[in-house]
Amino acid sequence: MANLVQNELCGLRSATVIDGRLELVLNNTLAAIEDGRRRVVEFLSSEPLGEVARHRLEMVFEELVSNIIRHGFTRNSGQSIHVRVARRPGLVEFLFEDDGIPFNPLEAAPPAAFQSIETAKLGGLGIALVTKSSTHLDYERLTPDAGGLGFSPCNRLAVSVAT
Amino acid sequence: MEMRHDNVGEVRRVVLVGRLDTAGVDVVETKFGAAIVPNGKNTIVDLSGVTFLASMGIRMLISTTRALSRKGSKLVMFGAGPGVQDVIETAALTEIIPLAASENEALELVA
Repeated sequence: MANLVQNELCGLRSATVIDGRLELVLNNTLAAIEDGRRRVVEFLSSEPLGEVARHRLEMVFEELVSNIIRHGFTRNSGQSIHVRVARRPGLVEFLFEDDGIPFNPLEAAPPAAFQSIETAKLGGLGIALVTKSSTHLDYERLTPDAGGLGFSPCNRLAVSVAT
Repeated sequence: MEMRHDNVGEVRRVVLVGRLDTAGVDVVETKFGAAIVPNGKNTIVDLSGVTFLASMGIRMLISTTRALSRKGSKLVMFGAGPGVQDVIETAALTEIIPLAASENEALELVA
């Protein structure tokens, strides 16, 4: 175990490396996006990532954490997001767990294709980017007796990004 | 996130530097719109200093381009690095906002 931090005031509640995996617990604040991202970048710093892969990894993290905090959580609640990051040959696996409202990104309606600048819709872009930039995406809604990383019921989203 | 702007002849040139993520857009969005929309000139946006682009940044680019379009003017992006270009292409943003390879090409597209 290494890199343990405890801070309720910032976006990062804890960051731990266990058995080669990064485990983050993020607070319900938009500061969690940047605080968590820095830990993910640090964890992956030894990986020979190309510019596109690095960008996709950071984008997946940003969009999913942002979406949970903005749309899944109650504002100013003590809710948290658990994120696990693991390096595998040729890819990075993320596991996001949160006790926000149920949301399955695989069932989200894709945004309409852009036809003109006047009619372009602004909603749904983040989830669409995640879907298109990942190689695998799997969602579960865990019931109270089905496990999880420390709380339930919760959303569990597994995302793989090619490196 | 930083932004500066000047004019190249009759064209407004805006240079963005930093991360166009949630925090970066929060810092720069109002300044970005204020530098472009009231002026109403055709505009080129230099993305060569942008190291990250997320959906919040795409929203900012679309909403500002839309406001400028209502004044009869165009906005063209240029200089995107590989990661930023990948997001732009994944989002199909070039269907509504042109992306040029160079500043000269961007100037030609807004002419």
